[in-house]
Amino acid sequence: MSLFTLGIARGLVGQVLGMVIGMLLTCAVRILLGWEAWAAEPAWTVGAVCSIIGFLLGVGSLDDWLKWTKGIPTPMHHGPPVDKPAWTRYFSVDYNHKVIGVQYTVWGILLLMVGGTVAMIFRTELARSGLQFLGLDLYNSFIGMHGMIMIFAILLGVGGMGNYLVPLMIGAEDMAFPRLNALGFWFNVPGSILLLLSLFVGGWDAGWTAYPPLSARGPIGYQLFFLGVFAIGLSSIVGSLNLLVTILRMRPAGMSLFRMPIFCWAVFATSLLQLTATQLIGTSFLMVSVQRAIGMGFFDPRGILGEVSPMVGGGDPVLFQHLFWFYSHPAVYIFVLPGLGIVSELLPVFSRKPLFGYKWIALSSLAIGIVGFIVWGHHMFVSGYNDILRIPFMYATLLVAIPTGVKFFSWLGTIWGGKIHFDTPMLFVLGAISVFLIGGLTGPILATVPTDFPLHDSYFVVGHFHATMFGGFVFPFFAALYYWFPKVTGRMYNETLGKIHFFIMTPAFWVQTLGQMGVGVMGMRRRIADYDPTLGAGQIESWQLAVTIAGFAIAFGVMLMLWNFFQNAEVGVAAGDNPWRSRSPEWQIPSPIPEHSFPAPLRVVGEPYDYGLADSGYVTTASPGDD
Amino acid sequence: MAKNRRHFIIATVLIVICTLLVYWVLDTVLLKSAAAVVEAGPIDYLFDLHIWLIAFLFALVAVFMCYALIVFRARGDEGDGEHIHGNGLLEIIWTVVPCFIVVYFSWIATTMLIDLTRPNPDEYVIIAEGRQWSWLFTYPESGAVTPDLVLPVDTPIRMDLTSDDVLHSFWVPEFRVKQDNVPGMVTHVRFTPNLIGEYVLRCAELCGTNHSGMLATVRVVSQEEFKLWQSEQVALLQE
Repeated sequence: MSLFTLGIARGLVGQVLGMVIGMLLTCAVRILLGWEAWAAEPAWTVGAVCSIIGFLLGVGSLDDWLKWTKGIPTPMHHGPPVDKPAWTRYFSVDYNHKVIGVQYTVWGILLLMVGGTVAMIFRTELARSGLQFLGLDLYNSFIGMHGMIMIFAILLGVGGMGNYLVPLMIGAEDMAFPRLNALGFWFNVPGSILLLLSLFVGGWDAGWTAYPPLSARGPIGYQLFFLGVFAIGLSSIVGSLNLLVTILRMRPAGMSLFRMPIFCWAVFATSLLQLTATQLIGTSFLMVSVQRAIGMGFFDPRGILGEVSPMVGGGDPVLFQHLFWFYSHPAVYIFVLPGLGIVSELLPVFSRKPLFGYKWIALSSLAIGIVGFIVWGHHMFVSGYNDILRIPFMYATLLVAIPTGVKFFSWLGTIWGGKIHFDTPMLFVLGAISVFLIGGLTGPILATVPTDFPLHDSYFVVGHFHATMFGGFVFPFFAALYYWFPKVTGRMYNETLGKIHFFIMTPAFWVQTLGQMGVGVMGMRRRIADYDPTLGAGQIESWQLAVTIAGFAIAFGVMLMLWNFFQNAEVGVAAGDNPWRSRSPEWQIPSPIPEHSFPAPLRVVGEPYDYGLADSGYVTTASPGDD
Repeated sequence: MAKNRRHFIIATVLIVICTLLVYWVLDTVLLKSAAAVVEAGPIDYLFDLHIWLIAFLFALVAVFMCYALIVFRARGDEGDGEHIHGNGLLEIIWTVVPCFIVVYFSWIATTMLIDLTRPNPDEYVIIAEGRQWSWLFTYPESGAVTPDLVLPVDTPIRMDLTSDDVLHSFWVPEFRVKQDNVPGMVTHVRFTPNLIGEYVLRCAELCGTNHSGMLATVRVVSQEEFKLWQSEQVALLQE
């Protein structure tokens, strides 16, 4: 079997070819214009655009659509590829949502490891004051790199859970648009490659937020970064569209919206945000990219001499921040809502009790999503926009606490009076609640403007943000991995190792996040390569050391989990079809799930979370005439 | 129901204890920098109010959660819990009560913010220009230009912030307040130093390679010393 039977190998070749063709094209145009043939920035920019298209052509994600243009029929192929080993489908274009879900998840975990490694490098640097082994520019590139890689990883994790679980939970045969689904995944691969490549062409030193004017005058790495983000953004948009249509149109008979598994509500709210907000980050980054490439002064008030043409100025750096945060605040809810959905989904199973206040939890996700659109100004309290407008943004931001509170209290209502089992997935759910509680409670102090003044752009924000991300995504994501691992592989992970992972990672994370907040209160700014060792009456260095050690403990825990999965995916103890005694549709079918998930269309005959109600069912595959 | 009442009484007692404990821990562990301006008073007051809220809400959720995990753990029992779908009244209560807390905090913060940013007719104006990666201070009254910031104590100050290259941010931790320097516009930050001493101005907006080292010395001096210093600067200027 040649390597090029794998779609991803062909895609990578396509990406390199695309890059070369793009660069040659740029040189040709410049020669025709009578300019010097080679200019690095336009060459890399055009090359990067062509490289994305090259990858998609190479991997074969556009094949069917290209055939349609010629009127060639493309019947849907089910099952592993003919005349190739079955595992190759995971490395090629495949239209089955379960394959795509695994592709998303695995690629997400890989990026999580890369992003985590970058974090460990600069965390080691921060363990002591003074610069030990990183240069200033590399440090500045690394912090932005860590941020954006992690965002990619989270979006992929969210996409993985949504794609794998939603069709199963609503008993659909597949997603509404399988080809679009595959395209949605494959955008991520060239996107993340461009992002990683940017480090080798100068990096980018303005952090993941890439505020101009700094981002408009840095190294070429910015262009690859912007275009990488653009590709991932396209993935978000087509992926969310697909999920929305699937949830709205492909539910079985009897499954009203309020009878869906609660995770589908979370995905629904997330997808609404993704479909409507992602364009704004794409636009803002594209505008900086164009400003750099041809001298459009969108965000530059003064005008500087660009490489191609002089910029004339007339722009506004604050405008960028508005555009950027109009996506990037809702983005935070895109990251956490699915995770909170996982918490709501798993608590009833392990408490053996119905979900407390189903409708309230479902609607609170929508409420968080809607309010999320009018709070972007709180990222800019000290940016210099109209002073008085800070007040409505403050009210709106604090308003987010209300639907979030509804979730917390409803979770407490769910476990109260239950019969609680402490398997690894449940431990991670409880860890998620504890960590998200820390993240949530440290939000209001940043939302009221006077207390935001000292904390804004300090390490306190770093601590707060990491607590929301770990509580809202990482812990629930890990819970989901442990919970559905037996469904995906048919094998059970090692429970003892899972528990060890939890008891290492959770306290370590508390130390890390509270430590970060603590040094922020002492007066340490975020995004600095070196800090003043006299802060906090000279205690800051011991705090930093504690945070670094905690970070390594978390990394160790994650490696333990991956090793656990790796060990047991093929040879672990057979898990059975429904080890958790769940009522959800995906647990009523064999593990691993066959190519066609459900033998017959589902029919909903009860409520999803009626634990404790004797002889009640949620779904059945039998038609009414069978009894 | 009687059993639930006993649970709630125990939990309430635990919440009170836990609130006090968490507040005490946070108050001890968090090492705020010294307060060197009048504005630090209200800001630190609101900060403290938030710490109380954090302590209470943390205790509320943590106590109920840990209590439930211990009391309602499955003791080798494969049965199910109570079949309860929810409680509309409870949901309304925990939606409406937080609304009042939100409005209360927003209101305090709003009035405070208006006070903090209100222009003062007697304010002393200094221009602070951020540049990659240093600060330059211009005193329009005397024409002095210095790389260090010298401030007279007990005098309302207005800093006019500018930048000619990229974004920077004016922040002295002991002064609490913070404001970005934005190319193309002039932003303002107001404070009244009330503690003589030496502090460090730290740029708080990532501004490129040496962002972490973009510092300036800030000296708050007595009004007499300030006058003396200013006349020295003027003399230097005329040489």
